[in-house]
Amino acid sequence: MLKRNSFLFFLLSIFISFIFLNTNTFAAEKKKKIESLPTPPVPKDNPMSMEKIELGKKLFFDRRLSGDGTTSCASCHDPEKAFTDSSEISLSYPTTRNFRNAPTLINIAYAKNLFWDGRAKTLEHQAEFPIMSPFEMNQNLDFVEEEIRIVPEYREAFKTIFGKDVNIKLIAKALAAFQRTLISKNAPIDKFLKGDKSALSDEAKKGLEIFVGKGRCIECHYGAYLSDQKFHALMVPENPKYANEDKFIVTRRYIAKINNYHDYMNIKEDLGRYFKTKKKQDYKAFKTPTLREIAKTAPYMHNGIFKNLDEVIDFFNKGGGQGNKALKPLNLTEYERKVLKTFLTEALSGEDLKIRLPDIQ
Amino acid sequence: MKELAGKVKLVIKFFPYRYRDYSRIAAEAAIESWRQGKFAEMHELLIKRSPKLDRDSLISYAKELNLDVEKFTKAIDNQEGAAIIDRDLKLAKELDLYVTPAFYINGIKVLGVRDSDYFKNIIFKELENAKKK
Repeated sequence: MLKRNSFLFFLLSIFISFIFLNTNTFAAEKKKKIESLPTPPVPKDNPMSMEKIELGKKLFFDRRLSGDGTTSCASCHDPEKAFTDSSEISLSYPTTRNFRNAPTLINIAYAKNLFWDGRAKTLEHQAEFPIMSPFEMNQNLDFVEEEIRIVPEYREAFKTIFGKDVNIKLIAKALAAFQRTLISKNAPIDKFLKGDKSALSDEAKKGLEIFVGKGRCIECHYGAYLSDQKFHALMVPENPKYANEDKFIVTRRYIAKINNYHDYMNIKEDLGRYFKTKKKQDYKAFKTPTLREIAKTAPYMHNGIFKNLDEVIDFFNKGGGQGNKALKPLNLTEYERKVLKTFLTEALSGEDLKIRLPDIQ
Repeated sequence: MKELAGKVKLVIKFFPYRYRDYSRIAAEAAIESWRQGKFAEMHELLIKRSPKLDRDSLISYAKELNLDVEKFTKAIDNQEGAAIIDRDLKLAKELDLYVTPAFYINGIKVLGVRDSDYFKNIIFKELENAKKK
């Protein structure tokens, strides 16, 4: 009898442990949910003001920020293209070739890592990189300060807003302030989350079920920004259109070289965040992008290899790229893929942001 | 692009990049080739052989295309295409264009190098739209 009781007690303990573990798992998964957009965070050392936003907008559209005066931030982050350039590989400084896709700036205020490899943590830090990159704007930071300072209207604005003379750090602050205003407006998902159940069509609602369920999109695309703000190695293939192009190879080698990658001359792939961290887990890892406004920001992935959402969904459905350990096949049916696409397209697209172009002296 | 033959009109405007040594003289070479009836052939060569676009190279391309080399040389040396180039530069300024290459497809602005699929997508859509009208 004692033996029998011990055995029952043993079974009961296992059962209780099982319930406990599962409760924890469910609790952990419960945290992963889609949220509506809160007021965007603003760093204490760069408070927002209308004047600063206007100045940032002016600088955003000003071609003085590029070495040859042909390119502004808006060239690759065009308001008419949802603040992307719709290119697989982002537009480049004349005679050079970029090597990654330009992400949208809509909702960038919520991003905790900037660039596909996360090499900047704040928009203020981020701003200097493309300005001085030889294959983007190719401008010298000391020189651009002078180019901006020589314009009386700019001098006056910096004095009024910051109480200081023009410098590159303040240019970056103004640009960051403007970018923090680029927020999705009235996306159906936000209306739905606030209780308007008619904001999504029946098909989009089915898609939402796939998103949080069988499709497992929610694993990495959650929260208000719809991103875990982490880096994953999905082994997205190299884009064959560019992989063997001389100018592209030049840029890739340059990136490897400035990141002290020892064998930069023989680099054949984009190693993503690994270039910066040299950590094994970051090998070919790239930032989880937001899915907000996804329908307007094709082509997709860090190298623009997927032309449309169907190709992206297929990639994930098959379990990602060769050799990846992050994903498993999803076995979604054709119908499930269709409704998932409807959800991504319909629910996550806000109204187009209307930008009044600034007058630049 | 044979499938688009007879359906699309291509107009090329000149926008010599101001920081390239030979872009202006290359535009002159293209204009003179046009006057001698071989614009497309010269245009193709200029793209293929870039950045070898110095005066001597351009003259060798004119020979290769069996142009009147004496006339060609005189034209590029005297900048006989200047009025056309300047007219196009003025137009670019009016359109606030600074990036090359820049395209307008039925009014849709496309900036920068793109692959053929990108253009096909827009062109076929525009052809469809034209049919509906």
